[in-house]
Amino acid sequence: MILEELRLINFRLHTNTKLKFSDKINYIVGGNGQGKTSILEAIYYICTSKGLNQNNDSEAVNFNSNSFEIKGVFSDLTKNESRLFYSAENKKKVLYLDEKQVFRISEFIGKFPVVTITQSDHEITAGSPAERRKFVDSVISQASNTYLKTLVDYNKILKNRAALLNQIKETGRKDYIDELDSWNESLINNGTYLLKNRNQFVEEFKLYLDNAYKNILDENEKPGIEYKTLCSSIETEEIKNIFQKKLAEIKKEEIIRGVNLIGPHRDDFIFYINNLEIKKYGSQGQNKTFQVALRFGEFFYLKDKLGKTPVFLMDDVFGELDTQRSERISSFLNKTGQTFITMTDFTRFGELYKSSEDKLIYVKKGEVSYA
Amino acid sequence: MLIAEPLQKVIDELSKLPSIGKKTAQRLALHLLKTDVNDVQKLAEALIELKHKLQFCKVCFNISVEEKCAICSNEKRERSIICVVEDAGDILAIEKTNEYRGLYHVLGGALSPLSGIGSENLKIKELISRFSSEKISEVIIALNPDTEGETTAHYLAGLIKPFGIKVTRIARGLPIGSDIEFADEATIGRAVTGRIDI
Repeated sequence: MILEELRLINFRLHTNTKLKFSDKINYIVGGNGQGKTSILEAIYYICTSKGLNQNNDSEAVNFNSNSFEIKGVFSDLTKNESRLFYSAENKKKVLYLDEKQVFRISEFIGKFPVVTITQSDHEITAGSPAERRKFVDSVISQASNTYLKTLVDYNKILKNRAALLNQIKETGRKDYIDELDSWNESLINNGTYLLKNRNQFVEEFKLYLDNAYKNILDENEKPGIEYKTLCSSIETEEIKNIFQKKLAEIKKEEIIRGVNLIGPHRDDFIFYINNLEIKKYGSQGQNKTFQVALRFGEFFYLKDKLGKTPVFLMDDVFGELDTQRSERISSFLNKTGQTFITMTDFTRFGELYKSSEDKLIYVKKGEVSYA
Repeated sequence: MLIAEPLQKVIDELSKLPSIGKKTAQRLALHLLKTDVNDVQKLAEALIELKHKLQFCKVCFNISVEEKCAICSNEKRERSIICVVEDAGDILAIEKTNEYRGLYHVLGGALSPLSGIGSENLKIKELISRFSSEKISEVIIALNPDTEGETTAHYLAGLIKPFGIKVTRIARGLPIGSDIEFADEATIGRAVTGRIDI
């Protein structure tokens, strides 16, 4: 899938920017605060309807305007146009696919797959378990609509169940216990589906992670990933039984504390390099390399699952990597698909692989020019 | 802008209604202002009558003119089956099909601790008490297929089964007359799991 054109109207610094892209690598170059990352953000918006890093939509509106619009033309087997309009006045975001309004965003996710490498990826290896769950959930959700829906339902059940546990804690009413049992059943049904799919995902993803290290990053390091959860089975009945048993064991404690104590929302994923846990023993460089490997893994995983090549967005990725790794990544990108890379440090451009098909785009104060 | 107080009052009251926003409310209010006074009178009376003349059926909590609703007092209905629904509006939907000849029971919602709805806020005790006053052989659960509805279904099934009464749930699947390719994945997935012999 290729993003051919992009148009930004009153989006951050870009009052009216029109861009045409190469279907290989697009280097977006400019100083700090000139509107480079805004271009990546706009691409992310029309692929997912959301901004990067969970920014508030209203922050993306140009200071002299009260709405923004992004339009992108994608070509795959067919040509599709995605258009997003946001009005800060009534805080309304409307998404159009080929000029038809999209009412269910969940059905839109995965249509234009996108993979990003940004500074906030740091949280995936170094941050809390929630960040790792978010990464895994977002990858599986892009590939499976049913997973996304189940996840949304599961979170709704968690909220209800937490409210009920709190009510039991406060009132001490015994008749609420029967209600809790019913919520447990819903929790187990939905949670088992998530757990099973995450187990399957981790098994498959190992291979993609291995390949990313072997082919792109560093063949001397061996990556590993482990899913820490209730049970490692992929048999629905087996997971259900264990889930049920553990839930019964912890019932008293859950009531005393008034919180959901077990389930996929408490799990963690452990990352290893040469059998050592990265979070504890990894260097800065190893962390960064692992984050990049996760994203390359995501890229090829989605490509295989969706049968579509995602758009790859890289925000200032070479800043923290050494010359050798930067070179290897950029020469490999030739084989991936359409990529967008922002760069501040133009002096390092010489290290990177350039082909005649690549495009160099300068951005200055929201205005673009081509080399 | 200052709006004359009687008009503002109508706009405020109308916009309290579901799916009516400020703008629609304003349009309706202005329309009413232009309408003949007799017609407005009729509307006002109809609304008052709605509250005064209608009540909830003592047995099933359906909307009713009498103490017992038209369905509960209809001797021709199958009196051994109860269909449990969330709202009285659901009865209208099921009745339109002409497929169901049994009785109903309106719960008045679904379990949702988050919005403060527990089992005591629903007409569950009333449902259970019907098992001793009536001869019931089957309960059909027809709640919305969302997380709250599903959980409530589990809950009801747990309560009803000890009475030796058959508990069923309406099937979930593809809408009639539609195309499989246009249905969403979750619906198709459930339709496949819930497939039937032919």
